[in-house]
Amino acid sequence: MSRAKDLRKNLFGGTTSNARQFGMIFTLVAIVVLFQILTDGLTLRSDNLIALFQQNSYILILAIGMLMVIVAGHIDLSVGSVAAFAGILVAKSMSDWSLPWPAAVAFGLLIGAAIGAWQGFWVAYVGVPAFIVTLAGMLLFRGGNQFIGNADTIPVPEGFRVIGAGFLPEVGPNTGYNNLTLLLGLAACAAVAWREVRARRTRREMAADPTPTWISILRLAVMVGAIVFASLRFASGRVGTSFPVSGIILVALVLAYSFYTRNTAGGRHIYAVGGNSRAAELSGVKLRRVNFLVMTNMSVLAALAGMIFVARSAASGPQDGNGWELDAIAAVFIGGAAVSGGIGTISGSIVGGLVMAVLNNGLQLLGVGTDRVQIIKGLVLLLAVALDVYNKRQGRFSVIGGLTRSLRRDTPTPAAPEAQRAPAVTKVPG
Amino acid sequence: MRNFLGKSVAVGVIAALALTACGSGREEEPGGSDGNAKGFAANALIGVALPAKTSENWVLAGDLFTNGLTEAGFASDVQYAGASTTVADQQAQITAMITKGAKVIVIGATDAAQLSTQVAAAHQAGAKVIAYDRLITNTPDLDYYVAFDNFKVGQLQGRALLDGLKARKPNGPYHIELFSGSPDDNNAGVFFNGAMDVLKPEIDKGTVVVASKQTDVKQTAIQGWKAEGAQARMDQLLTSTYGNRELDGVLSPNDTLARAIITSVKGAGKKIPVVTGQDSEVESVRSIMAGEQYMTINKDTRNLVRQTIAMVKALQAGQTPEVNDTKSYDNGSKVVDTYLLPPVAVTKANAAEAYADDPKLAPLTR
Repeated sequence: MSRAKDLRKNLFGGTTSNARQFGMIFTLVAIVVLFQILTDGLTLRSDNLIALFQQNSYILILAIGMLMVIVAGHIDLSVGSVAAFAGILVAKSMSDWSLPWPAAVAFGLLIGAAIGAWQGFWVAYVGVPAFIVTLAGMLLFRGGNQFIGNADTIPVPEGFRVIGAGFLPEVGPNTGYNNLTLLLGLAACAAVAWREVRARRTRREMAADPTPTWISILRLAVMVGAIVFASLRFASGRVGTSFPVSGIILVALVLAYSFYTRNTAGGRHIYAVGGNSRAAELSGVKLRRVNFLVMTNMSVLAALAGMIFVARSAASGPQDGNGWELDAIAAVFIGGAAVSGGIGTISGSIVGGLVMAVLNNGLQLLGVGTDRVQIIKGLVLLLAVALDVYNKRQGRFSVIGGLTRSLRRDTPTPAAPEAQRAPAVTKVPG
Repeated sequence: MRNFLGKSVAVGVIAALALTACGSGREEEPGGSDGNAKGFAANALIGVALPAKTSENWVLAGDLFTNGLTEAGFASDVQYAGASTTVADQQAQITAMITKGAKVIVIGATDAAQLSTQVAAAHQAGAKVIAYDRLITNTPDLDYYVAFDNFKVGQLQGRALLDGLKARKPNGPYHIELFSGSPDDNNAGVFFNGAMDVLKPEIDKGTVVVASKQTDVKQTAIQGWKAEGAQARMDQLLTSTYGNRELDGVLSPNDTLARAIITSVKGAGKKIPVVTGQDSEVESVRSIMAGEQYMTINKDTRNLVRQTIAMVKALQAGQTPEVNDTKSYDNGSKVVDTYLLPPVAVTKANAAEAYADDPKLAPLTR
């Protein structure tokens, strides 16, 4: 093995994969750098980064659920309508029945679960294709939104707005930064370091070649550097701003769902069902239950996304949720999921969603109109998937396939250690 | 392992220090909210966020803003919302304008109640916000509102409808139907109330009859001001109510809907009723000259844009912009200082005079 290959293997993990598997992350970084130069430094300014997360957290939350739906071999067209329906009910519950806002949030999630159970029932137990069920749901819940809201805009109280437009409070001594954001960054650094240490220990326990120490340190330095940079950026916005609350919700969900899809039997079942449902069923996977749960989960996340948007907009309106399903689906496919199911990762979808988000934001900062932005986004989606299909047909390495193979068991930033550890952990009897 | 941990912590600390050294902590608190006294640079960026390009009027306004602001020496950034994800687009566009450091942001809102977070952010960043044509509600941070007197628009439409009906048939009762605009647009209700201010007494007297009995603003609303919505509603009304009755008049809040209504009536093979309109769109002026649509309202977009730019200039010089109504426009959080421009009713009779100095419409009236 050449030195260069050796290095690559150590840096990115895995033996068959190479640096190309990180193509989408590099694309994201390249787009960020490009716009950073074109906008004269506006892209990475604190207030813009904060706005970027606030504007896109709800789409990224939808992408998490959509990834699982698509991996299981389905599609959900109803998420925008479900989000709007849950949003208007939650807004009404606070304005008409004066429900306190935490109760209203719980109420909204319950609505999501109920809608999801309804759609899951038709998909899993009656066997109507998800495309049809959710197409029906799209009409059903859009109509429901207008029926309940009388196509009106209903404002929501101050407290509720926190989940969409809120920030961490300013506590502790005046450091010139938002202290809580700094603490979050510190915790993230510690978590990354801990994982690296654990990965090394696992390798030793498995009697595998230990990673050279300097590689570990380099890798750690890159990740810690990225986290430190991000937390300083987020912490140094205008006084009263910090890493947004909606961003924290998103990060928590990404971590939880990444763990679920990667390291638990239930999560692996989704991939098994999407890859080959007959084989999965014969191996004892409860097909119906998996399908039911995936659809239910999607609607719960859609309800959450709807509430976050309503909170950010300070009101629930009749146009809420229009076209969201398309944004979420695009993020998932740019992030490397396969149309036929069975392939895709949460982290890939988030990166895919961020590529679209940064593109959108950068073009807006440059003053490009929505008409041209839509054209560009459409082309990016088509090209990203076409390139992958072309590569596969040529019998060459599939960028997206490779990307997914490594990321399937991985979160975006702390990439390598998990991949090495994964085989030992994911062999959960199923 | 301890060695490794020690090294990694050291690297982390060094990285942190390096980055802290180049970072500069909190960004400078910009302008502040009472920047009025000082004004701002004469070549500052002025942001203009408009709704989706669903009517000619918005496209024209955008062009006028781009030219007018550039002429006045400002840098301009004029943006339209996308066709499907309008509200989210506009929110993102306004945020981008704040990031770019716009000193004044002019907003033609897609949804009047869903922009308060962005308006608050603009206020905190020291930018002035002017609501253009549509009042932004539920925010104490809106600075000014500039619009045509929309209640008056409704009244003019109502009066013109009655005049038109009398001119065709000296005696009632007349059968009419009512249409109103998008329920998420603050103005839609104002137009409707203005028209009903004139029509209600006649309806109560029985000289004017709404045969479908749909007189509530919610029954008559057309979501998103969409032409296809109005056409569909008119189709249904003709089938349900006007099988063997004559339809004499239709109150339509704007030209796009008016033409959709006329298309529907023509499709059903009925005689075209007296239809009102608003906005002086090219197609509708043609229609009026051809004797189909009865009237429209001339709210000269040129004047509205000119007035808005005058306000921007006053703010730039550090003066308080001229307003003529400080009492009527309560947005739910405060009474917004407003400049109202008078609308003009136009029928075939006065079209040539009304559009005399409009380069696009004047040739049509000859």
